[in-house]
Amino acid sequence: MSTPLVWVGVVLSLALAVWAGWYVLRNKPVVLRQLLGGAVVEVYLLIQLVVVLVHPAGGGAPSGLFWIYVGTQLFILPLAATWAFAERTRWSSVVLLIAALVVAFLQLRLLQVWGS
Amino acid sequence: MDSVRRTSEGPGRALVMTYGILALAACARGGYEVVVKFDKAPLAYSLSLFAGVVYAVATFALATNRRWLAWPTVLTEMAGVLVVGTLSFVAPDLFRLSSVWSWFGVEYLLVPLVLPFLGLAWLWRSGRAPDEASVPVDPAGGTDRPIG
Repeated sequence: MSTPLVWVGVVLSLALAVWAGWYVLRNKPVVLRQLLGGAVVEVYLLIQLVVVLVHPAGGGAPSGLFWIYVGTQLFILPLAATWAFAERTRWSSVVLLIAALVVAFLQLRLLQVWGS
Repeated sequence: MDSVRRTSEGPGRALVMTYGILALAACARGGYEVVVKFDKAPLAYSLSLFAGVVYAVATFALATNRRWLAWPTVLTEMAGVLVVGTLSFVAPDLFRLSSVWSWFGVEYLLVPLVLPFLGLAWLWRSGRAPDEASVPVDPAGGTDRPIG
């Protein structure tokens, strides 16, 4: 798997994490624009999936574990968005923060599990 | 039930999210290991899957305010991570290949070790009738403010 493909995902999800973290500090709930930001990250993850399916660069076939990760990470942000938006306190921002950090973490793990 | 808070709200919102992610991670991992390579380490892989199921039940119980289910589940989780975590140091031969709870969950940034304590603290705290001393969850006092 090509490394830049992952790093763009890491940067996007960390940006979302910083945005959510800022709202936690300011004691504010998630706003709609942040969910649109989450949608941007999600769309990128889908693009990433398509690119890997069409053109698995980086040598060797991806492992079964890799596909588990790719599949699992797609669920994180939609679940978090639904769950967070039901709460109108700062804790909804905490939920989005956790979700964005987990996506960034999973992106990095993709590089590790590629050929394992 | 008006006197106690729902376990899914406020801080519980973040707790349920964390439990849900761990449930997803451990079930996916344990399921994959058990299906693909169970013979390599039956004990470790079964434990991973078991951990995943425990996290899934805890997520469900906390999200739907089922305290009677949440208490024993989180206690099971605590016992599991402490026993398996200790065994992985004391008897490393048992866990040559790791499980979710090995080394107290260090592969998951020790979240599995911290989470049951937070879970029990939240169950205990949210279950008490509110009084002046215990209500303000956050020093800024804005937790229950509607969207601004």
